[in-house]
Amino acid sequence: MKRVLQHPPAPAHGRTYWRSLGEYAKTPDFEEWLHREFPAGAAEWEQDPLSRRNFLRLMGASLALAGLGLGGCRRPEAHLVPFTQSPEWLISGKTMSFATAQPRRRGAVPLLATTFDGRPIKMEGNPLHPFSEGKSDNHAQASILDLYDPARRRHLTFQGKKADTSQLEAEIKRVRAEASASSGATLAVLADETCSPTRERLRAELLRQFPQATWAVYEPLAPGYDAEASTAAFGPGTQFRANLANASTILAADCDFLGSEDGDLADTRNFAAGRRIRKPGDKVNRLYVAEPRFSITGSMADHRLRLRAGEVGAFLLELGRQIRSLRGNAELNAALSSAPDLPLPHGVDAAWIRECAADLVTNAGRSVVLVGRRQPASVQALALAINSALGAIGNTLVVQPAFSAPAASIRDLAARLQAGAIKSLIILGGNPIYNAPTDLSFENLLASVPSSLHLSAQPNATSAKSSWFVPGTHYLEAWGDALSGDGSYVSIQPTIQPLWAGESQLEFLCRLTGQAKPIGPALIKETFAARTNQSGQKLEDAWNNLVREGFVPASSTSAAKSVNGAAVAALAAKIGDTAEASAGALEGVFVSSPAMDDGRYLNNGWLQEWPDPMTKLTWDNAILLSSTTAKALGLRNEIVKGILVADVVRATLAGQTVEAPVVIAPGHVDFAVSLPLGYGQDELGPVAKGSGFNAYRLRRTDADYLAPGLKLEKTGRTRQLAVTQEHQVMEGRDLVREAAVAEFNEDPGWVKKVGMDAHIPPNQSFYKSPKLDGEYQWAMVIDLSTCTGCNACVTACTAENNIPIVGKDQVMKGREMHWIRVDRYYTGEPEEPEAVAQPVACMQCENAPCETVCPVNATVHNEEGLNVMAYNRCIGTRYCANNCPYKVRRFNFFDYNQRALDKLYWGPVAPKGTEETIKLQKNPNVTVRMRGVMEKCTFCVQRIEEAKISARVKARDSANIRIPAGSLKTACQQACPADAIVFGDLKNEKEQVGQLRNLPQNYSLLEYLNVRPRLTYLGRVRNPNPAMPGARTSYLPSHGHGESHGSENGRGKTEGGH
Amino acid sequence: MANIFPRWTNWLPIKLLVCVAVVAASIVSGMAYYFTPKYTRVGYQPTQPVEFDHSLHVNQLGMDCRYCHSQVEKSAHSNIPATQTCMNCHTQIKAQSPKLEPVRQSWKTGQPVPWVRIHKAPDYVYFNHSAHVNRGISCVACHGHVNHMQVVWHDKPHSMGWCLECHRAPENHLRPLDQITNLDWEPPAGTSQRELGEKFVREWNINPPVSCSGCHR
Repeated sequence: MKRVLQHPPAPAHGRTYWRSLGEYAKTPDFEEWLHREFPAGAAEWEQDPLSRRNFLRLMGASLALAGLGLGGCRRPEAHLVPFTQSPEWLISGKTMSFATAQPRRRGAVPLLATTFDGRPIKMEGNPLHPFSEGKSDNHAQASILDLYDPARRRHLTFQGKKADTSQLEAEIKRVRAEASASSGATLAVLADETCSPTRERLRAELLRQFPQATWAVYEPLAPGYDAEASTAAFGPGTQFRANLANASTILAADCDFLGSEDGDLADTRNFAAGRRIRKPGDKVNRLYVAEPRFSITGSMADHRLRLRAGEVGAFLLELGRQIRSLRGNAELNAALSSAPDLPLPHGVDAAWIRECAADLVTNAGRSVVLVGRRQPASVQALALAINSALGAIGNTLVVQPAFSAPAASIRDLAARLQAGAIKSLIILGGNPIYNAPTDLSFENLLASVPSSLHLSAQPNATSAKSSWFVPGTHYLEAWGDALSGDGSYVSIQPTIQPLWAGESQLEFLCRLTGQAKPIGPALIKETFAARTNQSGQKLEDAWNNLVREGFVPASSTSAAKSVNGAAVAALAAKIGDTAEASAGALEGVFVSSPAMDDGRYLNNGWLQEWPDPMTKLTWDNAILLSSTTAKALGLRNEIVKGILVADVVRATLAGQTVEAPVVIAPGHVDFAVSLPLGYGQDELGPVAKGSGFNAYRLRRTDADYLAPGLKLEKTGRTRQLAVTQEHQVMEGRDLVREAAVAEFNEDPGWVKKVGMDAHIPPNQSFYKSPKLDGEYQWAMVIDLSTCTGCNACVTACTAENNIPIVGKDQVMKGREMHWIRVDRYYTGEPEEPEAVAQPVACMQCENAPCETVCPVNATVHNEEGLNVMAYNRCIGTRYCANNCPYKVRRFNFFDYNQRALDKLYWGPVAPKGTEETIKLQKNPNVTVRMRGVMEKCTFCVQRIEEAKISARVKARDSANIRIPAGSLKTACQQACPADAIVFGDLKNEKEQVGQLRNLPQNYSLLEYLNVRPRLTYLGRVRNPNPAMPGARTSYLPSHGHGESHGSENGRGKTEGGH
Repeated sequence: MANIFPRWTNWLPIKLLVCVAVVAASIVSGMAYYFTPKYTRVGYQPTQPVEFDHSLHVNQLGMDCRYCHSQVEKSAHSNIPATQTCMNCHTQIKAQSPKLEPVRQSWKTGQPVPWVRIHKAPDYVYFNHSAHVNRGISCVACHGHVNHMQVVWHDKPHSMGWCLECHRAPENHLRPLDQITNLDWEPPAGTSQRELGEKFVREWNINPPVSCSGCHR
């Protein structure tokens, strides 16, 4: 007889479920087991872990029970726990998608949240939304991990101690009473930017009740200079954005529009669409870039000019003068005549600007000049004048209504705090203690306020210094709304109840305005009703449509075609000169980190391990400078056993100092340094701890972007940095192939002339090729012409395939687990290099070298051309990785999913187990691999099988079991904002992949090995302007096909290393 | 000189060899039987928290499998019915039966009934119910005649070799789609399972995976 059952652990709700399981220095398995057998005893254990008597009693009793009936000989009893009431729509084991959006400071990113059994596991772009078209970026992909971040605080605190909701209730009441008495003069709100119309509505309500209250908005990376320029040019309440859909000539001046410049997905997609070249004669756009540090936009440039950020004004003035001589208009004339007559920046070739101007003018109407949005308003105003002369306004540069009304700045707020007028300060999101300009000494100001309250999804430095901390919600936990980049209205639909007692900004504001906490989407619906001006059934239908599709397209577009010449001229008059930078007085630039943005993602492990697209740096930031600057300052980088050993410097600016490692970045402008923001917040949690330095400490109100007069001193110390690619060269193997458009037009089969492809003798494999007779033959093609190297694919793959993070120490040993990596190669001179990105995943070779060496048949070929891994067969010999010519296999040296990253070497002594919340994110259709197992890209075999099964389920008793063409996408392909990755079935003629593989510019890596990869590349085609000074018009070996064997293309050099 | 070894030692090596061989063979064959799912799984029949009788519900009352296991045709996972499903009938029928006390308790408290799991594929196996029941594989092929079980037991080994037997020769198990949940179905007189199965393989394009990636991801 079996014994009577105890109930299994309660289902996932309540606080106890989320508790950290390693907390009591015992394994979660053990604890869970204890819970099941002796719920009461286990509770006692928690209260008194040292009670020997309890321990012995528990152990004794359980051993006795285990002995009865020899339960151990069978497998342990498991339970199936159904719902008591079935939730509507839920089919357990099937995923569901919900339209939602990630709020960002410059417009939300429309997304689909994939949920499995009620928990969101993956984010995808919303395919219906014209701005996203199903694409996403690294931040959208990684934001799901923030939801499950174990460092999120689970309760309210008052002065560092746990508080309950009634106390907060009383506090809100008190704040309201106090504000009523002063008609709001004592109340201030400091918010981040969420672009939410509902928040704007609540703000208006708050200011109606308390007219003198302060509403300030602070975003460290969106200082609002573009809004200032837009107001001057197009009137108040406007903003502008690029529209690259028809742009044929683009000049980006210190504008990383493909990357960190609040890169709109649409910009990347439209730019890539204009870059795509399939057959001779296809039109290709041309990109000019003038920038201080080598960004991914710079790597896509056809012509790149190294230019200090402070010289952009002078550069644009010269450009404006050149354009005026070719195609002037009144606005540009006015701007140029009022602007100071700055000389051409030192070292800049006038011919470069002249030819660039000529090209922009030739393509007037389809050309645009983009300027970084953190450049001074005067420079941006001048750029708008230039754009108006180019006929860009309304075509390649569109004007739209501003997302939110102007608000006080953090400076205004600081002045009021200084004056002592504010008695209660409410901080909604953000982290001003960490990222406010240092000259405001915001920490002291905050301490001087009698009552301060911080509402944030993650506790940070500001939370610790505020008297109240209110746990906020992640965007997947509460209803919200926002405007997307193109002005469309998107709904932010929650997909899960708040994991802990969280409250959204909207809910909090609702309470602050004296209303009851809203139920469900009531608040959003109200905004929506007001926006659409509908009621009754029509409103219901429209609302359901909004929730289902996620957005309502933008209705109002400003018809502005011209700029206000006088206002622009007045602004352009303020263009300042910058002093010549030198080794003693460098020009610092505070740049946003591509991974961490302004620092909000620092506790996100996926983004920590996500290599910077250009420097390939993980887990750290570093001061970037050119090799000339480094030489002048006597600074060095060295690669020792794959680890970048960087000199640490002391950076001083206006009395503030910070110590940081330096990284010599090819292509960086001389005597200027880039200071990436966002790191150095140890308090955020265990992942953030110890990574990078805090560049905000140098940042001042008057130097929030440009910091002239920066000094670097050598400290004599070094810091080891984890870079994922220490080789910057191809070792002469022609992995990346490039040609100019003219060369492509002349011979579309140019890729075969590069390297030794033309010399390969008829080859025969030593081994038998596997039988490839499956119903599908999978293949992938990556177009190097459009791949910007943004690395969104890496995060998408991490999320889809349960890829663990391994920590800085392991990355330095070369043990990062990413299944797809993006190699970045430099070509040309180290000072003025060009760069190319190349995503590399498992090639799924038809004659796979890894398969022949596996002693246990753990990696074999399937009939559809996939090189498959059976994890449960793998014994970890690593022969396969050793025999892989592409180095795409990854080995689990440790149990990265089970052990803390700082205790990997403790072996069995380390507590085992992972946070419950992290487990919730895992994709249930992909095995979580354990220690000692090899893994690699599978071409998302779980998606393939799911698609095949869906087709069969649909077919039932018919013979049509084919997957419809184009319906199956791998995770990397789905995320790729440039549409550079194409995956599909070679046997289906309707699939794009087969057509691309047959193009003459298709080539495979290391073709001479005859491994017959299923992942191939389309050679990169650049579009240089032959008239430009120093234009490199020939990319192919000049001495005919053959002898070079790639020396031409692989001649980049490593900075500092080797 | 006398023989050091007596005469009987002549046969000793052979006797020893035979002994070792017999012991080894019995260990190997014993393990091959007793350590495989054929023995360790088949026959597993735990006591369930509610004495639910499949034979009563299916055989006598004529309920279809999919009344309770409603998602089996749509999902990889065949759901265990929610308490709600039981209560659809049992608020009226046998509403006071003491056997149903745990179900009523669950309905009242919202705590689910903890059914004991019988069939469990390992975590690295991604079995999909919908792919099978929509393409001619009946419940009975893997679960046995549940319709005759008062208390359900594990009827088939569910080992990889056993899976592959059918994946390599699906014609031995295919049946018309309207007979999937009729566990007592037999091929009509005049035809054989093989004949029918081969016809379905042809007409329905049955092509079960036999490579690793079919089930392991």
